[in-house]
Amino acid sequence: MKMRLALGGGFAVLAAASVLSLGVPQARAEFPEKPVEMTVLFGGTASTIAQVLSETMAGELGEPVVPVSRTGGGGAVGYSHVMATAPDGYSIVWNSNSVNTTAHVGHVPYSYEDFVPIARVSEETPALAVNAARGWTSLQDMAREVSASDDHLKVGISGKGSFTHLVSAALFDAMGIGDQVTFIAYGDGKAPVELLAGRIDAAIQWPGQFKSYVDTGDLSVLAVTGSERIDFLPGVPTAQEQGVDIDITMWRGLAAPKDTPPEVVEKLAAAAEAATNSEAFRKAAATMGFQPAYAGPQDFAALIARDDAFYAGLLKKLGLGQ
Amino acid sequence: MDMFLNAALLALDPWAIGAVGFGTFIGLVFGSIPGLTFTVALALALPVTFAMDSVPATGLLLGTYIGGMTGGSVSAILLGIPGTPSAAATVMDGHPMAKRGQASIALGAAVVASVFGGIFSLAVMIVSVNLVSRLAIGFGPAEIFALVVFGLSTICGLCGGSILKGLISGVVGLMVMTVGMDQIEGVPRMTFGSIGLMSGVSLLVAMIGLFAVPFIIEASAGDGGGQGAGRMARIRADLPGLRLLLSKAWLMVRCSALGTGIGAIPGTGGAIASFLAYDHARRTSADKASFGQGNLDGVIAPEAANNAVTGGTLIPLLSLGIPGDPATAIVLAGLMIHGISPGPALFMNHATEVYGMYVAVVIAYLWVLALQLAGIRLFVHVLKIPRELLAAGVLVLCLIGAWSVRNSVFDIYAMGIIGVAAYVLVALRVPITPIILGMVLGPTIENEFRTALMLSGGSADIFLHSPIALLFLGLAALVIVLQAVGEIRLRASQQKVNA
Repeated sequence: MKMRLALGGGFAVLAAASVLSLGVPQARAEFPEKPVEMTVLFGGTASTIAQVLSETMAGELGEPVVPVSRTGGGGAVGYSHVMATAPDGYSIVWNSNSVNTTAHVGHVPYSYEDFVPIARVSEETPALAVNAARGWTSLQDMAREVSASDDHLKVGISGKGSFTHLVSAALFDAMGIGDQVTFIAYGDGKAPVELLAGRIDAAIQWPGQFKSYVDTGDLSVLAVTGSERIDFLPGVPTAQEQGVDIDITMWRGLAAPKDTPPEVVEKLAAAAEAATNSEAFRKAAATMGFQPAYAGPQDFAALIARDDAFYAGLLKKLGLGQ
Repeated sequence: MDMFLNAALLALDPWAIGAVGFGTFIGLVFGSIPGLTFTVALALALPVTFAMDSVPATGLLLGTYIGGMTGGSVSAILLGIPGTPSAAATVMDGHPMAKRGQASIALGAAVVASVFGGIFSLAVMIVSVNLVSRLAIGFGPAEIFALVVFGLSTICGLCGGSILKGLISGVVGLMVMTVGMDQIEGVPRMTFGSIGLMSGVSLLVAMIGLFAVPFIIEASAGDGGGQGAGRMARIRADLPGLRLLLSKAWLMVRCSALGTGIGAIPGTGGAIASFLAYDHARRTSADKASFGQGNLDGVIAPEAANNAVTGGTLIPLLSLGIPGDPATAIVLAGLMIHGISPGPALFMNHATEVYGMYVAVVIAYLWVLALQLAGIRLFVHVLKIPRELLAAGVLVLCLIGAWSVRNSVFDIYAMGIIGVAAYVLVALRVPITPIILGMVLGPTIENEFRTALMLSGGSADIFLHSPIALLFLGLAALVIVLQAVGEIRLRASQQKVNA
């Protein structure tokens, strides 16, 4: 009997959850009249931020925003799906710099110009970590010791052409030790453990992965690669502060298929702005280690175009571009 | 101690117990339906936890994970279709038992073994989390590669009659997994320009195709005659006795230890553990010939091991912040959103939450025990449904399941093509299970091998200089040699009989 009661409780939770996620339907002839589908390209942090964002956006729009996972092919599967849907604002994509990087590595039938930018929502700043036992406390320490030796630095990355690879290559080039780096590709982000075990010498990953190790003193984070320090690791200086001229962050935002009407884009952008400023989103940002960073459709478009030229150049330099 | 009591108080709150129970129930349902797995259930449950307090929220996620890992055995035993990849080994003996009318015995033993494995691994985790995580760090690419080679050697035990056909099947599995985006070089392989193929063949989709489609075709094409799937024997719902279970206690301990160890190594998981445990049980049994015909040990071993993996994976998840598989990656996201960032500092900063999780895991297993034992009487009636009607229902679930893996129609086609191929293979008496094993291990074996060679600058010495890698490579060689010697002896004795 007790079990049956508890099960009933369980169903009540489910019912409550479904009411919450359905929102309050409103009768009006303008956008949106039905749920908006948000295609998510990656699992992990990307997917969790999308879930938090979609819940708050749904409250603004008065219609559910449903995150739907279409992962694989470095984002190619999801981008291709959204590109082929009707440009009416009911199918949007939770995108990132990957739209620039995959397009230049090739093998995909789209570029950033196939999508209308809606809004940039968040920014993640990569961080460079090394094993604390190495005794390096700054980029200079590291550069000095590496260039004085004949050794090659083993640097963990997610895979060739991945974002972590591009940032690492750009950073070590700027430090002047680009020729003394061997990249070790891991399918997934096991970087902290590999650093701890001493199998690799350095790795660039998201701050959230390093945080706990920094607290215990096992790993040292030498720099973040953006132009400003981040709240998540306030004691870590930027690369620029240390005289290494590099400014790369990863943005995430929303985009719709080309030719989506401007008024629909405006409406989605307004909902995204409100969601980005919401309490729930800011709280998630603080615990997960990303920065809320709203930018409207025009600013976002300019940013994507600028990034595209940057990554095209970087990939060509690495011999990965087309 | 104060912290523990405080945590226990939080976790024993009726709302928290309810949340764990709800998660367990959802996990069991998703786990037992072929095609829907706990990874999907966890993704759906995650947003529900956003508004909850951290202890019930993590309890809900852990309950879903644990329920899902246990639920996979239900359809594996009843229909011969594993609900999750980690239940694939359970099919081998669980389904023959169901055909013999012993479905409820197999299900009951599976539940008890699962709960035992889960609690065992939790206990190991509580006692030795720091020690085990230190050992797990020692497993670099070379060591994981060697471990996976050892896992692959268990194909020998899954071949049924012909080792050649088993190898063909295993290699097919390995080959299928090379399709798609190469994680290391970032280039598509064997996709022929298809965007759908860029994400490769999903293990889940393949599993549905391999096990469910032949079932559907056979049931629809055969002369069902309105009989139930369990037509060979009367359906009973009696549970395994205490004496029987106690006699298997030592097997459960061994397989649970194995599962905990495998789970603690990131990049492995439930499927490898359950196949290794199955092979271990067969190898150490006095009655090897009855494996594959419905030996209860062949159910208990993989079920104890795959649930022991749940406690095992919590070790790197909590102490290192490394998720072992996609399911634990979602649990990790759930923890982080509640401000609990796993890693070495977790036990300093969030001791209360960690103790709360321990209590939640125990509650989840109590729920599993209660729900499953009550459910068995219900589940066995599935066998009364005429096969052709059952096949229609399974077909619908499979279509939904295949679609839901990546929300793509492409995967439904993939399931169909793999399914027809599987039907042909079954007709040719090629065993199916090694394909799954090949698919589970394929990406790991390839990526770890290549990463290891990158670390060593292309020298194979890296595999020979690591004692752990040598140990596992040696074990793999031993398994293969023993199998070959066994086959030759068997053939020699048969020839003697014939002559």
